[in-house]
Amino acid sequence: MRKLVLMVLGLLFFAGQLLAQTRQVSGRVLDESGKPVPNASVTVKGTNQGTTSNADGYFTLSVPANAKLIVTAIGLTAQEISVGNNTEVNLTLKAEDKAMQEVVVVGYGTARKKDLVGNVASVKGSVIKDLPVQSFDQALSGRATGVSVTMPNGVLNNPPVIRVRGVNSISLSSFPLVVVDGVPTYSGNVGGTASNNPLGNINPNDIESVEILKDAAAAAIYGSRASAGVLLITTKRGKQGRARVNYDGWVGWTKAFNLIDVLNAEQYTTIKNEGLTNLGTPPVPAPGTPARGFFTQTDANGQLIDTRWYDYIYRSGMQQNHSVNVSGASDKTSYFFSAGFTDQEGMLRGNDFRRVTARMTVDHKVNNWLQLGGTMNYTNSTNAAPNTGSLPGQAFGIAGLGRLPIILAPNVAPRNADGSYNINTAANTIGQGNNRTALSFYNPVYLLENNRFTSENDQITGNVFAQLNFTKWLNFRTIYGIDNLNVQNKEFRAALHGDGVQFGGAAQNTQQTFRRWNWQNLLTFDKQFGEHNVNVLVGNEQQYTNQQGWGADRRGQTDIFYDEFQGGFASIVPAGNFFGENYLVSFLGRLNYNYGGKYYLSLNARRDGYSAFAPENKYGNFYGGSVGWVLTNEKFFQDLNTDNWLNNFRLRASWGLVGNNQGINDYAFYSFFNSGLYGTQPNLFFSQAGNRNLRWETSTKTDIGFDASFFKSRVNVEFSYYKNDIDNLILNDPQSPSAGIPGNAILTNIGRMVNTGFELAINTTPIRTQNFVWNSNFNITTLRNEVKSLAQGNADIFVQTSGLEQPSIIRVGESIGSFYAVRTNGVNPATGQRIFTYRDGREIQYNHAATQRWTFLDGTAAPRGADQANDGVIIGPALPRYTGGWDNTFRFKGFDLNILFFFSGGNYVYNGTKAGLRDQRNWNNMTEVMTRWQKTGDVTNIPRVVFGDNISNGSGIVISENVEKGDFIKARNIALGYTMPKSVTDRLGINSIRFYGGMQNAFTITKYTGFDPETSTNGNANGSPSVDRNSVPQARTIVAGVNIGF
Amino acid sequence: MKRKIFSAIIIGAVFASCQKERLDPIPQTQLSDAVAFSTPERAAQQVNGIYSALKQGNFYAGRFQVYMDVRGEEFINFTNNGVTAFLTWNFTQTPTTNEVQNLWAAAYQTINRCNVVIEGIAAATLADNLKKQYTAEAKVVRAISYWSLMQMYARPFTEASGPASPGVPLRLTAITSSGNNNIVRSTVGDVYTQILKDLNEAEVDLPLNYATADLNTTRAHRNTAVSLKTRVLLSMGRYADVITEGNKMVPAAAPFQAATGVANRLNPSIATTFTTYNTTESILSMPYTNLDLPGTQNSLNSYYNPGPNGNGDFVLNTTGNGIVANTNWTATDARRAFNIASGGQTYLRKWPKNAGTDPDWIPVIRYAEVLLNVAEAEARQGTGLNARALALLNAVRQRSDAATTLAPADKDALIAAILLERRIELLGEGLRTADVTRTGANFAAKGSVGAYGPSSNLYIWPISNAEILTNKEMVQNPGY
Repeated sequence: MRKLVLMVLGLLFFAGQLLAQTRQVSGRVLDESGKPVPNASVTVKGTNQGTTSNADGYFTLSVPANAKLIVTAIGLTAQEISVGNNTEVNLTLKAEDKAMQEVVVVGYGTARKKDLVGNVASVKGSVIKDLPVQSFDQALSGRATGVSVTMPNGVLNNPPVIRVRGVNSISLSSFPLVVVDGVPTYSGNVGGTASNNPLGNINPNDIESVEILKDAAAAAIYGSRASAGVLLITTKRGKQGRARVNYDGWVGWTKAFNLIDVLNAEQYTTIKNEGLTNLGTPPVPAPGTPARGFFTQTDANGQLIDTRWYDYIYRSGMQQNHSVNVSGASDKTSYFFSAGFTDQEGMLRGNDFRRVTARMTVDHKVNNWLQLGGTMNYTNSTNAAPNTGSLPGQAFGIAGLGRLPIILAPNVAPRNADGSYNINTAANTIGQGNNRTALSFYNPVYLLENNRFTSENDQITGNVFAQLNFTKWLNFRTIYGIDNLNVQNKEFRAALHGDGVQFGGAAQNTQQTFRRWNWQNLLTFDKQFGEHNVNVLVGNEQQYTNQQGWGADRRGQTDIFYDEFQGGFASIVPAGNFFGENYLVSFLGRLNYNYGGKYYLSLNARRDGYSAFAPENKYGNFYGGSVGWVLTNEKFFQDLNTDNWLNNFRLRASWGLVGNNQGINDYAFYSFFNSGLYGTQPNLFFSQAGNRNLRWETSTKTDIGFDASFFKSRVNVEFSYYKNDIDNLILNDPQSPSAGIPGNAILTNIGRMVNTGFELAINTTPIRTQNFVWNSNFNITTLRNEVKSLAQGNADIFVQTSGLEQPSIIRVGESIGSFYAVRTNGVNPATGQRIFTYRDGREIQYNHAATQRWTFLDGTAAPRGADQANDGVIIGPALPRYTGGWDNTFRFKGFDLNILFFFSGGNYVYNGTKAGLRDQRNWNNMTEVMTRWQKTGDVTNIPRVVFGDNISNGSGIVISENVEKGDFIKARNIALGYTMPKSVTDRLGINSIRFYGGMQNAFTITKYTGFDPETSTNGNANGSPSVDRNSVPQARTIVAGVNIGF
Repeated sequence: MKRKIFSAIIIGAVFASCQKERLDPIPQTQLSDAVAFSTPERAAQQVNGIYSALKQGNFYAGRFQVYMDVRGEEFINFTNNGVTAFLTWNFTQTPTTNEVQNLWAAAYQTINRCNVVIEGIAAATLADNLKKQYTAEAKVVRAISYWSLMQMYARPFTEASGPASPGVPLRLTAITSSGNNNIVRSTVGDVYTQILKDLNEAEVDLPLNYATADLNTTRAHRNTAVSLKTRVLLSMGRYADVITEGNKMVPAAAPFQAATGVANRLNPSIATTFTTYNTTESILSMPYTNLDLPGTQNSLNSYYNPGPNGNGDFVLNTTGNGIVANTNWTATDARRAFNIASGGQTYLRKWPKNAGTDPDWIPVIRYAEVLLNVAEAEARQGTGLNARALALLNAVRQRSDAATTLAPADKDALIAAILLERRIELLGEGLRTADVTRTGANFAAKGSVGAYGPSSNLYIWPISNAEILTNKEMVQNPGY
């Protein structure tokens, strides 16, 4: 060893002698704030001579005459400097413009952010990995422009509503395509009563980054599936260097928040009895006629029974999450292994989510022309939930736990004095106690303790690739991926009470399998010709998906002991059967060109064939293009010397045509007949009216904007105007019911809808000192959605909520799903009756106690009642007109504080839950009802209570009283962390350790009177957003966690 | 070598780039329209498919009968549930009310299925007699569907202006594609003419009977068409024609039993009618099995039974003008055995089983109704007390109440007694609205709901709002 050192020194000396003209140069490297930069690399251009700066930034080096030095340092922009005749060279390195150096994953490849003309939002895995969510998509809320992510409610693993630049379809899906490491995966809800978002099968901790492709330039390469945007998930891979081990773990506690106060037992009996009196059927009537009144009761100890049903339904849920990964890489081989475990209790009793994941990724360079690699992920997850009543279609279920605690009478108890359930078996309702009028809902405690709903996933995803490098500038890559998802949904409904009674106790098991393979072959050409940079991609992609479901419902428990499917039951009925397959074949190409980093041009094209369309309409052609111009790289601009305040300015524009087939039935164009039974005999019946002319829904996307960096990249601004013009909308064209077409609709390419808006992102570092840094990122996206044409001469489409109510309308000239209600005008102080407004403006009032219920305000009989069909008017848009986020990170020494605000507004929310909370049947009411009208002259918003009245409150008719402004700002996430100093970690023998505490959904500022204006009873439905009908509220979660690196 | 490997891989990839057969998958669990009538077996199954439409949840599984009955005075709503006919009972229905929209859609689904099958059978290769029979069966189901629609959505034929008032759209051809939305309402008179035409044509081509008792109850035979005609003609007030048709099935004197075709007659005990579903009293019933269920919240079992076998949405009105409180219905009448007290309420338990596991069959028309149809038609003939009418009335009464012989004093009292007997005998079987409206009576007050007479717009339902929105020719009923 010593010999070697001597030899090298000798050689150096020899070299020194040989190059007689070399001389010593010394210097110092500083950063912009004037601090020394240690460990900066200083090399002589064109040689491998070099040195590094010392702790104070000084260096010394011998250089030949007229040498140029290249100085680089981590986090700073490399600089080249001529030595000339100087013996001392001092230089200041600018902070690296990180945003511009970043590599961003794009469709079928990667690009440097500065070379990217398309509109791509990027979210780093590090910002989502520590959040108390079930699926990564929930964590994207407020993080990126143009991407609106709202949580429907606090049910665990309920898919969030994701909209990339507005609603992009009416009858098909508006959820973006989700691609994991190049292979599209499943989204939506594959569960039953228990929600199950398959994206929850991805461990958020395995994610390196999420890219959201928004405009045509970025997304058109995904052709037929790009209309609603594309989410590209890139999982972690090994990085050069020694093996690293990371552990991330947190524990959390979650609770419902913003619950609405309801009447207590005494208030309840007061209101209901007053209602009976006002109806003319007094609670304690003349002898001989049946009593109808509501009365309190006491328990065995003489205590008043006053049940707060919330306490039986909600809880403080405990959550924990652990994730470990090992990664590293040598020159040839890189690897990443991880394991994850999460166990989360929800705010609702019986709502639990558990997930176990394992992932392996290996990449290997076999030789200079062949690279191989692959990744494999296995996930098992179980979603358990009660009937939350909060998933699409469940809103009016009488077993839904969103609704039961707010409408159940508080003067009855869940259990009798002897501990048995308080149940009225004959009526299959909760026991009515001392009330003389029957109650109409189930006892939720029985449901929670006896019914069971689970949805379990086993998902295996994997892909292998091989890359052949023919030359440095030409390579061929083939990637084959599989994505197999098995879902087992199990339900048990007990026989004694609730919705299991009708089946005498029933256990249902259904199995769903989704099997997919995807094969891509891509040829990439990438070469520089002087200032011309050319990148060409041509390729082929095929994807086949087979989906099948089967199962059965076993009914009639032979003994109450049996609660598993395999137990003793009297009968069995098929359940959950489906069968489908689809195949997509695509040919794609892309040209990226730039000249000297100044002028950018990108063109892409794709031809897609899809199996669900008729043979003559299988294929669609999609294409896009974009141009960019970096003004700051122009000589004339540099001459302006704007560098001090404007250091980067780029204009960009894109246009393209993409398609949509997401969510279309596998056999959409067929007319066919289904089989069933007529008693014991087989039957056959017309079940689908197909449409052979069905073809691709298309979306023309235009995007114009600029990127600018000010004050040496302390302030970065991205601005875009966008327009999505969606044409040939595949609509469930409503057929008049008298035509008798199955489902009263035929899928047809009719209709047009346009989304326009602006996106603005401002990323700043207002403060950056050695010890204190404040990063503040603000983004806002506006949206103007307008339906331009519809089927049947632009006939309105009314969109139902859970099959019972139609607060939403799709009408030409309006935003999709706008609220359509009968206008109300408060309560008439003279009569205490709710005032409704005919469409022509005349006002009428409603008295449930009268034979002539509808009268004009002067008391004369009205010709008809108000109803939605005759008197409905558009109240306003349901889609937020703006959404955004404001993300602040403060760092002080070892501390870091992150506060993320999410805001949304400009729209209305239909507070249907409030209709229920004011309903004058036997339902409990919100405490506001105590301010009801009682005597002439009372000015209040609560009408005179009349028992049985379900009109004045809006249960029977959708009224504007229940359509409220939906503006809000929410502290989505607050997290405070502390990273231990190196001196401590060194002593502990670990690399890094950080502790943190945080709160998800800390608070909401809003005037909305329901639980939460961030709500979606209809989930991801396109035509009925912002409906709040009997859903549970959002959860607030507090976490404490640790990140350890070894 | 390297070059050869590269070329081979790329050529391989290009060849594998599209799998044509995967682009044209054939559905494995449905039959395409091209082959749906291609064999005699498929044609036969198509006919069963028509009846399946009739018996669907929103139609004759129970919801239709419930709507027809709860508008009357016999039931009190107990659950206040908007999903289970509360608005109909409460007379607060609007064009967007679910029962209004769903019944309309279900009836027309059934009608279109009939039309699709009539046209499919016509084009199929099939024996002539089967073609005629299947077509006739489709016409019977179509006639039932139109008659049902007329009871809810149109003014009664028997009103002075009834026949000329708006009925419902007549859809008589198969619709399998879009572009057929707009159609005017035919008049009440035209719709009834079509119903009778269908039944008359069906009568000729229907078989006299089938091979099994089950089929005689679940498939239309000649007496089915005849019995339905007595109902339809009664709704039209064409009493002489009711008698003419009734005579084909009802002899002039006891024992009352159909002389031709299926030997339809009363069972000795009414209890048997609701426990043994395929007796000859049940002229047409909808069969259900544990594999062919009526669906949640659809069955009569679910509406009228208390838990655990039902939801008990409606209890019998035991006070005031409810039939249960009527003393002319004697305490010993066997039919009172269906009225079961439980938890302080009285429930109608004609269909007592749990429809989720062990559903009852649901009657569409029974011989008892035919007897009462003929009795009422006879009673309205002439000016005096009609002897045959009285005999038929007592035949129905004494089957369940042998000790009572009804002896009304005059014609009016006889008619009143027959109408009362209908309320007792057919309680819960879906005829109350028809009996109220064809006689121009009021829907009597009950519970917290007032009375609604013929002058009220609420006397009939509104037209479905979904129809109004899509059918530009559709006109709403007055007052909605």
